[in-house]
This record gives sequence, structure tokens and C-alpha cells, in this order.
Amino acid sequence: MDARQAARNLEVIRTLMERTCQYQLLTARAGLAAGSLAGAGAIAFFFLDPESAWQFGITWALVFFGSLLSATISIILRGRQRGERVWSRPARAVLLALAPSVFAAMAFSVFFFARGEHLWLPGVWMLCYGQGALATSAYAPSPIRWLGLAVLLLGCLTVWLGTGWAILMMGLVFGLGHVGLGTALLVSERRENTIRLHREVA
Amino acid sequence: MNALKRLVEELDPTLHERGRLAIVSVLAAVDHLTFTELRDTLGMTDGNLSVHLQKLEDREYITIDKQFVGRRPQTTCRLTRAGQRAFTRYLDHLEAIVQQGRGQRGA
Repeated sequence: MDARQAARNLEVIRTLMERTCQYQLLTARAGLAAGSLAGAGAIAFFFLDPESAWQFGITWALVFFGSLLSATISIILRGRQRGERVWSRPARAVLLALAPSVFAAMAFSVFFFARGEHLWLPGVWMLCYGQGALATSAYAPSPIRWLGLAVLLLGCLTVWLGTGWAILMMGLVFGLGHVGLGTALLVSERRENTIRLHREVA
Repeated sequence: MNALKRLVEELDPTLHERGRLAIVSVLAAVDHLTFTELRDTLGMTDGNLSVHLQKLEDREYITIDKQFVGRRPQTTCRLTRAGQRAFTRYLDHLEAIVQQGRGQRGA
């Protein structure tokens, strides 16, 4: 063994360890799709009335479920491409970590819609999303961690700015934020493609 | 070159085999893995994996527990403390080899 082989072995060991405990199936495409949908949702309010609970709710529900669908499809395709199971140990760990934040977001959504104060929800959703992303940080690639922290802080800012800034901040934070995540994951994916996979070792 | 040769000779032969190194690498990242999870993660055949696991167990680097989950047998593998120490030592050796190589290139 020479130094180059030793360095390569170390890299493969690192990759193997990451793939075992990190959720690796999240794709850049999912991030970019979610960002685009969120941006489109914000732009839609040039034509829609943000004060209308129905228009507000339906628009962001479409963005949310559209993003979820796009993420699910890309995860399944990525799993097939890599020959990995989608319903894996890291996947279960991520969902378990996300569950409290998702539940809190749903509970707050019902509460604020019931009170007719839905324009406070963007800040609340950001706080829940940021907390959820950070909760998965033990299992997620590092861009998720940074996104979580950024969204958490921007959620505080959004709440502080008040309801007049809600739609704009949704577009900026969820839109640009996920485009940024998608870009970071794309860089990471391209780097990983140059690393020889675990079958070189096994 | 003598220092590099000595470092290579000091590598743990049990871990210096590709399959066993891969097994120990993934076990080092988690608390435990089942036989099926190991096989699927590493893309090994059942027989190949079994042979490597046996050798690691013989060196007391891993423990293998067999139990029933419902009616289905499940084999669970864990890295022991001795295995963790051996893996850490192996990584240190690899790092030393890399550093030695850099030193020789610089010289």
C-alpha cells in the first residue's frame, strides 16, 4: 500500500460511514423544485389576495404538497438508481426527528386559521421548519443543517417584521433558501460521483 | 521508505482486508446493524459476508446476536470496544501512511 492508496481508503471509509448513518437520498432536484414552487407561490400573490384565508391556504398547501411529491419521487428514483432501499434506518430516523416539528406546524396552522390570523403563519412555519431541519442534523448532509439554522433565524425576523412582510419572506426564505440547498446538494452530488463507491472496498 | 514499509507492515491484517474493513467501517457509524442491512449496504453475498463476520467475531472485534423477531430469525452485529479501538488504530495508521507519503514528496 502506498500513500495514495491509504488516502483513497480513508475517503472510502468516510463515505461508507456517512452513507450508513446519513440520509443520502435527498436530491438537489428536490431542493430546486421546492424552491421554485415556493417562489411561484409568492409571485402568485401579485394576483391573489393574501388577506383571503382560502387563497392563502390553498396556495401554500399546493406549494407544500407539490414540494413533498417532488421530493418523494426524486427520493424513490434516487433509491432505485443507487440500489438502496427508500425505507431505511436513516429514513426512519429522519422522519422520527421531523415528526414533532410537523405536528407543531399543523397545530399552529389550525390555530391561526381559526383565529383569522393566517398571515402570522409564514414566520411560524419557518420556525417549525428550521427546528425540524436542525433536529435531523445528526442524519442529514451539512447543507440541511445550515438551511435549518438560517430558516430558524429568518423565521424570527419574519415574525418580528409582522404580517405585511409575510408573503415576501415566504418567497425569499423558502424559495431562495431551497434553491440554495439544491445548489449545495448539486455540488455535493458531483463531488461524490468522483469518489469511488463502497464496492471498490467491498 | 523504510518508515512507510514499517507502517504498512503494522496494519492490522484482520482489518486490512477490503470486505472486513467495509464491515467495520459501517458498524463504527451506528450502534448495530442486522445481517440483511450489512449485506444490502455493502453489496456482498450471504456467504461472503458470513465468512468475514466470523473472522471478525473470532478476533472479538464484533459480537453477533441471533434472535427471533416474531417468527423470523434476525442476526444483529455490533462493534465491540476492542473492535472500535482496532478500527481507530487502523485509521491512525492510514493517516500516518498518508503523512509519510506527503513528507517523502516534499523532501
